[in-house]
Amino acid sequence: MGPDASDLSLVQRVQRGERSAYDLLVLKYQHKVVKLVMRYLRDPADAEDVAQEAFIKAYRALPQFRGDSAFYTWLYRIAINTAKNALAARDRNPVSYELDMHNGDDSTDMVSRLKDPETPEGLALTEEIRNTVNFAIDALPEDLRTAIVLRELEGLSYEEIALSMDCPVGTVRSRIFRAREAIDRRLREVFDGGLGRAEELV
Amino acid sequence: MNENEVESQLSAMFDGELPAAECELLSRRIDRDENLRSRWSRYALMGAAMRSEPVATARSGFALRVSAALAADLAPKRAPRGRSLVWNTALAATLVAAVAGLSVSMLRDAALGTGTQNGVGALAGVAVAPARAAAVLTNEPAPAAVALEVLNPAPPSYVTPAGSAGAATILRTQLADYIVAHSAYSTPLLRRNVLSELITSEDAMGIVSPHTIAAGSDATRSTSGSSR
Repeated sequence: MGPDASDLSLVQRVQRGERSAYDLLVLKYQHKVVKLVMRYLRDPADAEDVAQEAFIKAYRALPQFRGDSAFYTWLYRIAINTAKNALAARDRNPVSYELDMHNGDDSTDMVSRLKDPETPEGLALTEEIRNTVNFAIDALPEDLRTAIVLRELEGLSYEEIALSMDCPVGTVRSRIFRAREAIDRRLREVFDGGLGRAEELV
Repeated sequence: MNENEVESQLSAMFDGELPAAECELLSRRIDRDENLRSRWSRYALMGAAMRSEPVATARSGFALRVSAALAADLAPKRAPRGRSLVWNTALAATLVAAVAGLSVSMLRDAALGTGTQNGVGALAGVAVAPARAAAVLTNEPAPAAVALEVLNPAPPSYVTPAGSAGAATILRTQLADYIVAHSAYSTPLLRRNVLSELITSEDAMGIVSPHTIAAGSDATRSTSGSSR
């Protein structure tokens, strides 16, 4: 079973006209795509706009997706092309870009600030979430921590993790699930702890 | 299946480690279950935090904005299709009305003898030649209606009872049939107008009853005789 099995299942649902399935793909890959686009566009707000455009382009092109490559590989390619196009368009229109940057429109500036993950508030929230996740991982039993790290950081399949940890695939699945549950409990404590802004994340 | 098992499946599905058939069922369940959907989103968030990806991205409601943009993007594509249907229907109705109006006008001109030379000739030929042929076949002055039915068995009519006579009547019948057969492409008002026009033209032509036609058959014969 490839790492794209569930993606392919969701893609097939979208191809049958069930758009709600695409929402799950967006939720799953939004962070990766924004990070990818930010390599080209330094401004986080611009990167989000371009990432959004990439997801829309991918949706439009999904009827032609035949599953020859993994969905995320295909999506990343679209995101990179969209980012390059945005960069080229910006270079062609430097004047309007400057005007946009200094037009003094408070409402636009506020929207941009709210969208910008690198505002002080955004950075603080990012830091808070990362710390919470890291503390939760540190607190995990060794076998759970190893399983989740191999999965999330190294990108290994369950079978590869099972070989690495010398245990059945079913055990790997159980360990990863229990690790996620433990981290999720900590995250929900943060969300429920009066930090209303964190709830907007999910 | 208990809740823990569903959440375990969700974790496996997130990693692409759930069989496709189970993915299909579970993803439908996520559509209905807000708790599973939030959990799916947090699984993505914790992975992003571990990999130092921009986790605050979602604070701006990124996924919601994409979903709204897609909804807005798809909506205008449906509207032109709707307008196109209305436009095509209106165009078809206009064409039907134009053809019907022209035909009625030609019939009236033919009956009153006021058309262009070609038009009168053509329609007079249609009206006179069958009557002449009927007279030859029956060897006596038969009512034009009977003769025309023998020579030109009319197609099944939607609106005109059998027995109506005269070439012009047949043309009008065919015209009326045409209008009814294509009524799906016109409005009731348009159909009424065209049919009213037909009735008016019948009155103007003065050939509405077989008796009238029969009474005029002698005159028709004499006309055809003189034209020889």
